[in-house]
Formats: sequence, structure tokens, C-alpha cells
Amino acid sequence: MTNAIELHNITRTFGRSTALDGVTVSIPDGSICGLLGRNGAGKTTIMSIIAGQDRPTSGRVEVLGERPFENEAVLSRISFVRDNQRYPDNYRLHHVLRIAPDFAPNWNADVANELVDGFRIPARTPIKKFSRGQLSSVAIVLGLASRAPVTLLDEPYLGLDITARAMFHDVLLRDYSERPRTVLLSTHLIEESEALFDRVVIVDQGRIRADVASDATGELAFTLSGTTDAVDELSANQPVLRVHAVTGLKSVTIEGQADDALLERAEQLGARVGVASLPDLVVAFGAGTPDSSRPTTPSISQPAAQKGVRA
Amino acid sequence: MKAIASTVKLHLNLREYTFVVPLSITGMVAAISVLISLIFMRSGSVPGSAEWIYGSQANPGILYALAGFLVYMGVASVATTFPFALSLGATRRAFVAGTLVWYAITAAYIAVILAVLAAIEVATGHWFAGFYIFDVNVLGAGDTGRLLTIVFLGVLSALTIGGVFGAAWIRFAARGPQLIAVGVVLTLAILTIVIVPEAAAVFAAFRLWWLAVAAGVVIVLAATGSWLLLRPAIVR
Repeated sequence: MTNAIELHNITRTFGRSTALDGVTVSIPDGSICGLLGRNGAGKTTIMSIIAGQDRPTSGRVEVLGERPFENEAVLSRISFVRDNQRYPDNYRLHHVLRIAPDFAPNWNADVANELVDGFRIPARTPIKKFSRGQLSSVAIVLGLASRAPVTLLDEPYLGLDITARAMFHDVLLRDYSERPRTVLLSTHLIEESEALFDRVVIVDQGRIRADVASDATGELAFTLSGTTDAVDELSANQPVLRVHAVTGLKSVTIEGQADDALLERAEQLGARVGVASLPDLVVAFGAGTPDSSRPTTPSISQPAAQKGVRA
Repeated sequence: MKAIASTVKLHLNLREYTFVVPLSITGMVAAISVLISLIFMRSGSVPGSAEWIYGSQANPGILYALAGFLVYMGVASVATTFPFALSLGATRRAFVAGTLVWYAITAAYIAVILAVLAAIEVATGHWFAGFYIFDVNVLGAGDTGRLLTIVFLGVLSALTIGGVFGAAWIRFAARGPQLIAVGVVLTLAILTIVIVPEAAAVFAAFRLWWLAVAAGVVIVLAATGSWLLLRPAIVR
């Protein structure tokens, strides 16, 4: 399988601040990839670099086999609307719908009209007066109706009501099945969008913490819960990502997989061992400073059985 | 080329701003000029007299009114349109080139409109009442060729000046336009200091084409500045 997007050791600094620190990630052609992480983790910066709106301080980026920056041929095949997208003064919806097809060779007016109707985007209100949800709706219209081979959706759910979110899922999946493309979607609504992803990238503090097939996320970490003493004993010398404790009880998320010895000892101590869910993983990877002594980019490309982990 | 054409269309997308607002501003200036003329008439001035024509043709109102709006248009054409153009997939190179083409289209449109209005004004004996709005000194005083040149270069200058301020804002936020303003003021001050001792000789030797050259220099400097500022600019 070829990769639509490849980032090699990308670093991006803004003055003394490091937004991206040695990011290496590949997004396979035709996949729907979730880009997950906390606010300020570097998700939008990654998308900006992929879309040629920004340039890395060092490292190499290739989209559809070419460098995107100032590359007209590549940029015409990328759609990226930022979560804080600015529009020209006095723009209304019809201005957006009139100009977008000029830049998007695969623009589909039927998809655009369906989304505009479904989201109930106001036609007469200036875009600068739109609510957060209405701005997200316009971004989704641009993102999906463009049918760009590389579609970057930056927090598309912001402010959307549940009906609108469901429609977005439906149209994305239907149109994706008709016209497969590479979709990179950043979101904080992980549980709601998890089913869309066939790949997941977790980023924190400018570093890739996980890059795996979505059905292999369970292999990245496991949870241990029980009495504080039991959990402390079981998690000793383990790469603990996150700790949650209440009086006498403790729960930890541990990177990697539980081995047979740990499972056996947990059973003896009455502790529970479970698969870390995707939201658990994002919370855990974002909970603290990554330990530089550990590998920072677990990469599992093939689905694998949940070995050695009992739910 | 396709991206440049698309950028021109992006600017023309707000058609009312390119084609209608300059007309409405011109109309307002015309109305105000007529009102001022009526005040002079009521105070005893005689339409058609030498004093009336001299005073009326010295009115530069049309220039000032349009200049402010055009500089704003130039700023907005970059400051608010550049991020959207990049989101649509335009390259910086295509954006700058397309924006310059749009500036030229706008300048030509306004030049032709004012030339037509000036021709009508002259043909109707200054609107049948001796009102001078377009047949004024700053627009060539009835010389159509001069009017077209003045308006085209003037509009292009205003738009490119606005554009470079917008580009500076995109690149350096509020500090950008401030630095350009300080640089322009310092340059003009130094030029003035240098020229002042020879001011009388300079004024005596002055030729109108100097202004055309000055406008050309301003346009080239501002357009080059916009490109240099936007070439590495990022959207955040």
C-alpha cells in the first residue's frame, strides 16, 4: 500500500517554542486516520504542514509523492479548512459555494447542497456572524464537497449538534465509499468518531506517541485497577502512563501489553486488567511528559489479537 | 496559470465591492460637490464665471474619497483573503500574481468609469448647471488621456500600498504595518530634509510625468514588498 502522506523527522519551532519535535508518520492512501491529542499537542501544525500552509523548520514532508509547499499540482488535491478559518470580509455562504469549485477540480455540488440543507446553514447571514457550529458546517461542506484526494478535517465537530454530527458521519462514509480518498481527521470527540478510523495517530507535546491501525490500539496499553497496594505492586517497574486514585483504590494505564506473569499475579491480588480504550490512550498519552527513555512511536500496522489481556 | 485565474475570480467573487462600491462613493462625492456648489451659488458666485470654474476645478474631493476606500480594499484583499486563498489551495505565488491582476482590473474599471462620467459632464455643459465634479484639475481638467493615466496609476498605487500593509500584517501581525509606516515616514522626512534647500528649483523644474514615474516606483516597490512578505508567510 502506498502512502498518501509521509512526514520524516519533522520539527517545527516558533521562536523558543517547539510545536513539533521529530515527527515521523505515514498515512496510507485511502485511509481514514484519526489525529488525536490534547489542545496544543501539534495536530493543526501537522495539518498545516501537510497542506503547505506552513513549512517545517527541519525534516521532509511528502503528499502524494511530492513536497506540498508552493506546489500547485499537489495543493489542488488537498482540502484543509482550519478550525479557526478566516473568510474574506462580507462573505456569505453563496460566495464560498461559488468560488470553491474553481479551486477544487473534483467539487460535487450535490454533496455541497445536501450538507448545506442538512446543516441548515444560513444563506443571508455574513459568515463573520456565524456561530461556532455554523462555521464548522461551512468547513465540512468545503472539506467533503471538494472530494480532494487528501482531505484534512481540523476539529470538524466544534459546536455541531448531535444531529449534524450524525449527518456528517453518514455523508463522510457514503461519499468515501463512492470516492475513496485519504482523510485525516482531528477531534476530541473520540468515542463518537472512533468507528470512522482505520488508523489512529496520537500526538502529544509535538511528538507522535502512537501510530497504529485502529483495531490494534488495544495493544498499546492496558489498565490495572484494584486496591492501591495491589496496583502499586503490579505496576512497579512498569511504564505507567497515567494514575488515577481514590481512597484505597487505584487505577493505572500502562504502556505495552500485560504478560502472563502479571495476569496471574493480578488474579491472585484481585486486581482487574483491562484493555485501554482509545479515549483512555489519548488521556494517558496526554497526561504527562513523555519519558524519553521509552520508544515514543509505537507503530503497529497489522491488526493483532489482544494477547495476554483480559477485559 | 489556472491558480492565478482562480485567485482573480476569488477577488471578483465580491462583485459589489469591485464594481458597485466605487460607483456609490463616486456618487456620494458628486452629491457633496453639487451641494457645495449650491452653497457657493447662494453666496453669490456665478456658475460659468472664471472664478467659479477656477474654484470648482480645484476641488480634489473625488481623489481623497476614493483613495481611502481603495487603500482599505488593498489591505482587505490580502489580510482577509490570503488565509482563505491558501485554504482553497492557492500557492502564494499565484495569490500575489492574481491579486495584482485584480488590482489592474479594478484600476482600469474605475479609470474607464471616471473617463465616461467626465465625458458626460463636459458634453452636458457640466450637468446643465455648471457643476464641476470630474472635469477637475486632479483628473486632468478635461484631458481624457491624462485622466485615464492619473486614475489608473492612482488606483493601482492605492491598492498596492494597501496590499503591502495587509501583507505586513499577515507576516508580522500588528508590528508589520507599524514598521512600514515608520519606514515610510522616515524616508519621506529624510527626502524632505535633503530636498528642502533646493525646493524652489525642484518646483520650478517639476513636470507632471514625475508623478507617473513616482507612482510606477511606488507600485513596483509595494508589489515586490507584498511578494517578499507573503512568500514565506504562514497561516496560523
